[in-house]
Amino acid sequence: MRTIGNWRIYGLVFSAVFLLSGCGFKDIDKRLFVVSIGVDLAKNSSKKYLISLKFAIPSASKDQPNEFSIVSEKADSMSEAVRILKTKVDKEIDFSHAKVIILSEEVVKTSGNAGIYYWFPRRRDVQGIAWVAIGKPTAQDVLNVKPKSEQLPSNAIFLALGKDGSETPYIIPSLLFDFKYRLIERGIDPILPIIEAQKQIFEINSVGLFNKSHMILHLAPEETKMLNFLKSKEEKSAIKLTKGKTTVVIDTQQVKAKYKIHTPKGKDPYIKFEVSVKGRLEETNRRVTNNQLSGYEKAAEKSLNKEFEDLLVKIQKADVDPLGFGIRYRSRHFNNDDWQQWKRIYPKITFKVVTKVKITDTGLIE
Amino acid sequence: MPTIAVEQIKERLKGKIPKAADVVFKELHTKEKYLEVFYIKSISDEAVLHDKLYKPFFEQQHPDEFKNYLESIPQIKSYETEEKTINEILNGVAILFYQDSVLLFDSKVDRNNSVLDTTVETTIQGPQSGFSESLPTNLGLIRKRYPEAFLNVELTTVGKISKTEVMILHDTRYADPKTLNKIKDFLSNVNIQMFQTGEQLLDAIKKSNRALFPVMLVTERPDRVAVNLATGKVILLVAGSPFAVILPTVMKDFMASMADIYQTYWVGRFLLLLRYIGFIISVCLPGLYVATTSYNPEIYRVQLALSIAGSRNAVPYPSFIEVLLMLFMMEMLTEASIRLPKAIGPTATTVGGLILGQAATEAGLVSNIMIIIVSAVAISNFVVPINAFSFSVRIVKYFILASATFFGIVGVVIGFFIFIAYLVKLDSFGEPFLTLVQSKPHKE
Repeated sequence: MRTIGNWRIYGLVFSAVFLLSGCGFKDIDKRLFVVSIGVDLAKNSSKKYLISLKFAIPSASKDQPNEFSIVSEKADSMSEAVRILKTKVDKEIDFSHAKVIILSEEVVKTSGNAGIYYWFPRRRDVQGIAWVAIGKPTAQDVLNVKPKSEQLPSNAIFLALGKDGSETPYIIPSLLFDFKYRLIERGIDPILPIIEAQKQIFEINSVGLFNKSHMILHLAPEETKMLNFLKSKEEKSAIKLTKGKTTVVIDTQQVKAKYKIHTPKGKDPYIKFEVSVKGRLEETNRRVTNNQLSGYEKAAEKSLNKEFEDLLVKIQKADVDPLGFGIRYRSRHFNNDDWQQWKRIYPKITFKVVTKVKITDTGLIE
Repeated sequence: MPTIAVEQIKERLKGKIPKAADVVFKELHTKEKYLEVFYIKSISDEAVLHDKLYKPFFEQQHPDEFKNYLESIPQIKSYETEEKTINEILNGVAILFYQDSVLLFDSKVDRNNSVLDTTVETTIQGPQSGFSESLPTNLGLIRKRYPEAFLNVELTTVGKISKTEVMILHDTRYADPKTLNKIKDFLSNVNIQMFQTGEQLLDAIKKSNRALFPVMLVTERPDRVAVNLATGKVILLVAGSPFAVILPTVMKDFMASMADIYQTYWVGRFLLLLRYIGFIISVCLPGLYVATTSYNPEIYRVQLALSIAGSRNAVPYPSFIEVLLMLFMMEMLTEASIRLPKAIGPTATTVGGLILGQAATEAGLVSNIMIIIVSAVAISNFVVPINAFSFSVRIVKYFILASATFFGIVGVVIGFFIFIAYLVKLDSFGEPFLTLVQSKPHKE
């Protein structure tokens, strides 16, 4: 009797586990992997969006490169588009490797796209670590680009945004989970890198800043680099500076930035940035010796201070907060109306940037 | 002159032991004395009989002198009962009838007493010789490695027909008396007709408590036996088998190779880690393949996902059939290469492994990745040093494969949990199977 009872319990556990399996048994070769998703505004149509999915088509032998195909559909919503797209392909669409989501410039410049933005984090098979970027001129153009060095469809974008490949301070990648967090959280706003499609290559060197619902500020490449320095995210970079007739380029090895929001009583609030840059000379148009270096350090500090302050003021004027000053303020002030306070403070806050530049050597043996 | 009692014993013994081709009844005469010898030629050492018995018989003139001689040599025992004597004859003892006494002369032939090289548990360094097939030689080997007065040796027999001698060895200081009693109980209850070797106990224990995993270790290495004696284990030596049985045995013993203590510390640890990794790989990998290709391909990197999808394009069957097919082939190969003569072995492996694998991929029956997985499973399975244990591990992977086929990644996890739970439940003569440190004996 006891054994029969045991088997009943086993049976129950067994069937309960059945419910855990999630999506069903489907072999990997019966799935069609989406590598990137493009969202455009539909033209000449009653529907609002044009959704494009880029599928990677695996090749049977490793000698042939992997092919891709792009299937598009006009629809008013993402889910509607995907349902119709399923009827256009032979295999089950699998979003689990959709690592890049490209929103066209037109889409991000209009507001009212929340449905699209939140569709991605809602789906369990779209990974939270997918990158979100702005496509220029359209998302479809970006999907269509096939760089020659690319082994796998969309791999060039993965490498560039993921910094597995090229490391550059001109790219500020944005991941889906972070994008969603920035869309919702008060005090921090989304930044998306802009991918410009050219014939056979991409150009990713600028970013768009959002005020929650849509993009309102476009930063030039140099400003993007400065913003990246302030985020302390990229260390390999070059800073160009001119002193008198000499132009030197500093190859930075270490860039660190930290800031503190000061709200002294009775005085104007300010944000104090401390940036330290360490590097060595990479290029000069005149001879520079080791004992001249401190002079260049001073010059670099001066010009960097100005550039940082200009950028911060520009961002402040646009009333966006990509660095998350607001959330820093809210995390350190435990009032019920901290958000209202910050909204009053932010437009008139001043920035004080103190940069310390250290040039270790001239790069040459004297 | 022989008395009537002796004459009666002689007649009865002759009656009990039928006249076979190798039964010898010899009469020796000199002027003064008269000796009768009764033995079985094929299991008695006639050289010993000749040196120790016949020669002195003809050299010593006086009957009493020879009698004194007989009583002084160590091979002689006196007659006790008829039943015992028959048993002794069947074991190779010669019966002497001299004057008015019946004496038992130990002339057992000790065949197969050459020490064999280790073939199953080989190590690169350390002792290279194993046990022999002779019980006294084996005991001698152990005594030599374990020169301790506390080494206790008890003798029993197992097997209804074979009446095989089994020696129970333990160190009285370290061995747990409770465990020892359990083992003795087990041995007396073993129901085997022909007991040939210690491995049979593995099968016998299953009758009472059918375990998937062996709970006793069969080894051919005297050094392993000596080391285990010192940790308080009980050793069984079986007559006629070059393997000793070590009890109780837990998982860490199965994962340990003697090479571990013949290496430097970190190398030993590394090898141990390697074995556990191999163990987990060989248990989980087929299940993981099915779970990841058919349920959760998001676990792969995109490059790998596409290359698996590409290589699976031509495969007509679902992944679990593909895995089963390949695993089945691999098991066949493994089995076949054990049975094959040494000369053909490598050929079979080449034909099977290389050509079959290649052809199966070409024919589109299995994917390239599958071949890698199957070979990884097969190789890592042999990393487990004790054979009996690695055979058991071979079975577990099918269980995890099945649960992966039904439940995906969750199935692999749950399957592995159940596997661990089962190991936790197992015990070897009172010692939990997953014991990491051997418990000290209970001191009363």
